[in-house]
Amino acid sequence: MSESICTHCGKSFSIRSLYDLNGAAYCASCVQDASRQAKERGQPSAYIPLINKSICARCNTYIGSAPDAVQIGPLRFCATCGPLIKDWDYPQWLKFSLAALVLLLVVALAHGRKYFHAGREMYVGERLVAKRQYTQALPHLQETLRIAPNSDKAVLLTAKAALLSGDVDAADKALQAHSGGHFEDANNADFKEVESLWNRATGALTKAEQAAKLEEEEGKETEAARLMHEAAAAYPELPGLATAAEYYDSGAAFARKDYDTFVAITRKQWNEHPSAAMAAALASSLACKFAVTGDASYRQQSEEMLAKAQQLAQGDAQALKNLEEYLPRIRYRLDTRQIITRKEYDRRFRSPETSKKSQEK
Amino acid sequence: MFFIPGPVIAALTFPGVIVHEAGHLFFCRLFKLKVFDVCFFRFGNPAGYVIHQEITDFTAQFFVSMGPFFANTLLCVLFCTAAFLPVWELKVFDPLAYFFYWLGLSIGMHAFPSTTDLSHLWASAPALAKKGNLLAIVSLPLAALLVVLNYARVVWADLGYGIAVGILGPLAIFRALA
Repeated sequence: MSESICTHCGKSFSIRSLYDLNGAAYCASCVQDASRQAKERGQPSAYIPLINKSICARCNTYIGSAPDAVQIGPLRFCATCGPLIKDWDYPQWLKFSLAALVLLLVVALAHGRKYFHAGREMYVGERLVAKRQYTQALPHLQETLRIAPNSDKAVLLTAKAALLSGDVDAADKALQAHSGGHFEDANNADFKEVESLWNRATGALTKAEQAAKLEEEEGKETEAARLMHEAAAAYPELPGLATAAEYYDSGAAFARKDYDTFVAITRKQWNEHPSAAMAAALASSLACKFAVTGDASYRQQSEEMLAKAQQLAQGDAQALKNLEEYLPRIRYRLDTRQIITRKEYDRRFRSPETSKKSQEK
Repeated sequence: MFFIPGPVIAALTFPGVIVHEAGHLFFCRLFKLKVFDVCFFRFGNPAGYVIHQEITDFTAQFFVSMGPFFANTLLCVLFCTAAFLPVWELKVFDPLAYFFYWLGLSIGMHAFPSTTDLSHLWASAPALAKKGNLLAIVSLPLAALLVVLNYARVVWADLGYGIAVGILGPLAIFRALA
């Protein structure tokens, strides 16, 4: 009962050591050759231990030669398991779940579009910052902040790019929009770098403000110019400070009656930054030269620059207001060949007493 | 190291378990293997399983064992990519993004094939690799690494893998695209 014959070699073997291949029993020595030959004939080549045919491949219940046993490929199953194995399908809930997962993925990617845009802008900005192209990086980083104003990385990159391109206002705006300038990790290297840049920039601006106040005072022109030069040296990223320092140099030259230097500086500034203010400054220095030399060509040049100043100021209320104060003094210098300070001019012609006398006349 | 019971972790990351087992089932059906039993999720160990007939073909063995690893990893990268920027880089509080990131991490965390799957692969790969089977050659180092990572699950290697894939994957994508 427990033995059977190998179909190939005809020898008798224990059932436990025989294999089933396409319904025929083979011993362990013959089954591999038989399998290869079956494969060559295009028949199924998989074989299983013969004993397995007596038990259900799924639940291990003894099925022997039960008529209701189900044969699926090389495997035999009991009547209960057979249909289950035959029709094993994806459950309905799994199909819905996987469909929902795909849908969620689409939603996730669609939802992330604005973040992809912001992120891309940030990485582009970051790369430009790494290349020291700060001015070009700034608009990309500001676009990121429009969507993510609280991103530490984006804010610090923006502040860095802004400060290194001389735009302190943009840096201030980015930092203030980030929890009022509060950062959780004050030891972060990027934070420390921006903090250092910020301190340097604001320190320079404070000096520039002090210089501006000093410049208003008579006799402090040289000190004002020195302070402005210090500010420009501390924060060279803001070219306006260097320009202001040069302008203050011209004020200092005027104060020490060095009119050649005064003309040289104002002419250079006019050439570099042609504007109503620079035209008026050059007109002023040329008027000084006319006053001390009496050379009419200086007067003529000064008149021409005055005309240009008025022309350039058209449509600019602030420039017109500044000229309203400045032009009469230059005109006075040209008319009288007297060089007097603004304070003296104001005392003579703009004090309330003078105004009163003028009105009485 | 703190201990959280497996069933709790599985419950918190159940989508990953379901996706993993669905992957096994998919590849079983693809290679026309008989499936004896499937559990997509349960509160037990393992949290899910697919019992199928013995596999004699190495290609089928490879894909049934490793298929879920690749599928879970890919889905993890995709979901985490969608949510990576608001969660990690832009620091935008967007609940939907956090939901997608959780989904991605849950799926990525269950990417590892089981030790049983790997042992079958490990048993048949060396002989085939010697014969020049490319798939077997590729699977050897991969299976070796995954066996190690599987044992390292006690120190949260599966979570670490999910996080690594969920961060490094999107980061690589965005850096390449920027």
